Amino acid sequence: MVHRTIRVGGLTRVEGEGALLVRARDGRVNDLQLRIYEPPRFFEALLRGRAFTEPPDITARICGICPVAYQMSACQALESICGVTVDGPLRDLRLLLYYGEWIESHALHIYLLHAPDFLGYPSGIAMARDHRAVVERGLALKKAGNDLVAAVGGRAIHPVNVRLGGFHRLPDLRGLSERLEHALTLALETVDWVSGFDFPDVEHDYRFLALTHPDEYAILSGDLPGFPVDEWPLHITEEQVPHSTALHSRLDGRRGYLTGPLARYNLNFAKLSPRAREAASALGPVCLNPYKSIVVRAIETVHACDESLRILDRYKPPDAPTVPVEPRPGVGHGASEAPRGTLLHRYRIDDDGLIAEADIVPPTAQNQARIEDDLRVLVEPRLGLPVPELTALCERAIRNHDPCISCSAHFLELCLEQ
Amino acid sequence: MKKLAVWKFASCDGCQLTLLDCEDELLTVAARIEIAHFAEASSVSSPGPYDLSLVEGSISTPEDRERIRHVRRISKHLVTIGACATAGGIQALRETPALLPVVYARPGYIATLDRATPVSAHVPVDFELRGCPIDKRQLLEVIAAFLAGRRPVIPTHSVCVECKARGNPCVLVAHGTPCLGPVTQAGCGALCPAFNRGCFGCFGPMETPNPAALKITVESPWYTERSESAG
Amino acid sequence: MDVVLASLEPLIRALREGGHTVVGPTVRDGVIRFAELSSAADLPAGWRDEQEPGRYRLHASSGPAEVFGFAASPDSVKRYTHPPRSSLFRWIEDTAVETPVEAPRLALLGVRACDLAAIAVQDRVFLGGRHPDEAYRARREALFLIAVTCSTPGGTCFCASMGSGPRATTGFDVALTELADGFLAEPGTARGRDLLAALPHRPATEDDREAAERIESTAAARMGRRVDLDGIRERLVEQRESPLWDEIASRCLMCASCTMVCPTCFCVTTEDADDERFERWDSCFTLGFTELGGEPVRSSGGARYRQWLTHKFSTWVDQFGTYGCVGCGRCVTWCPAGIDLTEELRAVTEEAGTRDVTTQGTEASATVSTALERLR
Repeated sequence: MVHRTIRVGGLTRVEGEGALLVRARDGRVNDLQLRIYEPPRFFEALLRGRAFTEPPDITARICGICPVAYQMSACQALESICGVTVDGPLRDLRLLLYYGEWIESHALHIYLLHAPDFLGYPSGIAMARDHRAVVERGLALKKAGNDLVAAVGGRAIHPVNVRLGGFHRLPDLRGLSERLEHALTLALETVDWVSGFDFPDVEHDYRFLALTHPDEYAILSGDLPGFPVDEWPLHITEEQVPHSTALHSRLDGRRGYLTGPLARYNLNFAKLSPRAREAASALGPVCLNPYKSIVVRAIETVHACDESLRILDRYKPPDAPTVPVEPRPGVGHGASEAPRGTLLHRYRIDDDGLIAEADIVPPTAQNQARIEDDLRVLVEPRLGLPVPELTALCERAIRNHDPCISCSAHFLELCLEQ
Repeated sequence: MKKLAVWKFASCDGCQLTLLDCEDELLTVAARIEIAHFAEASSVSSPGPYDLSLVEGSISTPEDRERIRHVRRISKHLVTIGACATAGGIQALRETPALLPVVYARPGYIATLDRATPVSAHVPVDFELRGCPIDKRQLLEVIAAFLAGRRPVIPTHSVCVECKARGNPCVLVAHGTPCLGPVTQAGCGALCPAFNRGCFGCFGPMETPNPAALKITVESPWYTERSESAG
Repeated sequence: MDVVLASLEPLIRALREGGHTVVGPTVRDGVIRFAELSSAADLPAGWRDEQEPGRYRLHASSGPAEVFGFAASPDSVKRYTHPPRSSLFRWIEDTAVETPVEAPRLALLGVRACDLAAIAVQDRVFLGGRHPDEAYRARREALFLIAVTCSTPGGTCFCASMGSGPRATTGFDVALTELADGFLAEPGTARGRDLLAALPHRPATEDDREAAERIESTAAARMGRRVDLDGIRERLVEQRESPLWDEIASRCLMCASCTMVCPTCFCVTTEDADDERFERWDSCFTLGFTELGGEPVRSSGGARYRQWLTHKFSTWVDQFGTYGCVGCGRCVTWCPAGIDLTEELRAVTEEAGTRDVTTQGTEASATVSTALERLR
């Protein structure tokens, strides 16, 4: 009988703090835990009793990598309670802001966190010693995304311009088209570059969750597969597990579904922008290899640049930066596509216009069980490998899903203390 | 070459991301200082001691209380980056025990301290860089200052100084919008007033804050009456 | 010499065609702001402001659409002559290379008499001594100044007390007074005369001049604030130890807004970014500005407020031969705590005549209570 325990103390090149524990016996994995030890920050509880206008600014602080996602899901959930729809040029500005975050986050992940795995470097900075021009291209692409977020939102991290009903001020978009034309070129080069990587021959039979929209490669709004956004609490449930400060999610009672770029790509391929679809011709409409998520991210970056250019082209400033939003009591749901997957929010506003309940399900928490499944498949046949090698393989498999562990630490059971 | 370490405690990652957001300067910085420990960016870590440790996040678990002491022991200089590490951050708004059962069905699994506290509540801190998130220019200034062995030049005056220099209209005086700018430290470039909203204090209190005077302003009948009349 | 212009459009067009960027008042974000004008239509015709300590509001007027029916805006000419931040030099290969001064040819339209007085004050500061500021000189010489008589002073204005307004008498290229049917335009320089001669105009009549004088005297009588300058210089210095300074500091935010909007405040500090050194506005209200040998020499708020007020009305005279205040009222309007310089000046200097506040202990605290009593 051979016992083996593998501990990966601190996961690197992921956003946030996590660890992995694998227990095996006689060549079989008995227990595999992706441990989230990110200290919990209790956002849903902090929000209770605060004004209904506050969640966009407060929940942005859950994640410095994807604050726009939090702001968008929060705004839409709260606006739905107040009976407000933000559309036309204001919705376009929201899309623009969100595409900026996709470009920035995807470029960060592709170049600084994920690509080093394929080329054998410990970091993007180390990779730059041999591939300086490539890393500089990645940084330039990331900067274009950050510039877009800053132009619309005021700053790249925790933008200040977002509010319920729209924006505090209409942004100045001059000069962005030129920047994004250049970014589009860089994004297309990125697709070519990452497509040439050597990918392990792996495919998983994923169950996908992503927003779908009749006219768009959904990012800001749409339906979830088989149910509308406001029914998400009926389909997505959460359970606490001892080894993690993040709660695990189940979709229609079953654990282990996947949200994120692969889910979006497989469900919504037909809605990609023309340039993005062209860039995706080599990969094709179906991609079940998690390692190739780096290619999907690059294609999504092309899409984000392409769509941003289209919006900039058609944008006509509206008369006012915001539509009025008056509080009313009720429950509302919001969902949007964060760079790393579907981000679900639910709020209840009380009679005084204060937040009575808040419920946030971030993408990484939803993916946590599925990532463990990926790892189980990876580890079991390779238990004989030396520990450092196996560790590196596991870390790499986790990075495929761009987990943002900072966010995973903030979420809560649906049944709240009353 | 001097060695830099970046550490994360309870936080959103935004402040350490600011280092990676120095797109134009990152490779230059990396050429001047060895980024020896930075889990978010690199899977190798060279052992301490480190010349400069940048610490993000507040201390909210018993493990982290031990870990920050360890970080202090292996760091020649320890600089906190951002509101969480410097002041406790957004998670310090309330005490933990009351919140735990709201979020987690079985609070027993979760080990936390009663409240999230700043790093300086646990170990001596050499410099505190403010902001939620920190400003990238200020971060570069701090790194440059420690490389040169001098004190960082980070203004501690009010946001108003930046606001007026930027040419924003004062939202407090001209619109009757409550604004924390007069009691908040500069560093953001007076961002919120530039976007037509009041400052909400990302950079913490300025050098000589007088919140009582601001409270009198925004609570006095003449202020509110006048704001309403401006409707 | 003086003429009447029916419209400002030809004036703006001629200046633009002559290579000037024309900058004047516009409505932006609920305030009057200086911005580039492409035509007279950009001017804030029909807008009126309402100014009180700590409060500014802009309203569309229901009356006649006067083009200049408002008082001082948050911007002063300082933004153009002494910008908030400017590059001094850059290190290139271990050599400090001075940054060339940017001095675009600007025509400032709608400058008030108090602003012109402030330019004169700054001229003495920057150009008067043994080390003139050449960057200031370049920017200053690139200005074409078109003044406007104030017809509707604000609630915080006191230029009449300071002798600097409401009508410009010197320091302009062209001075305008807005009449019912046009603008009385007087040249102040040869280039101003040439410009006016080239514009469509009618000669000014005695009626026009009388109308302009009536506007001036009506405005002078409508100042929202006043100060008594009699012996102020000495009276202030005598109050160095007044407990009122600390009392004012208890209401003061130390935010430095007053010095930022002041058209004469000129204090700067330097800051480095990358390989470049910049000069930027600083203030006697910031702790860093008063640092000497690593410690602030004016650590109390009272000491910093005293420094400001005393400089404006007393030590400025010692240094530059004029007051440092022109009575524009900006520091009063834009103080978020609504501290009224004219009131504080009165309170502090009146103490001089009524009692000896330099004594210690109970008497001093009684003075504070009295002052507080008066403020309630």
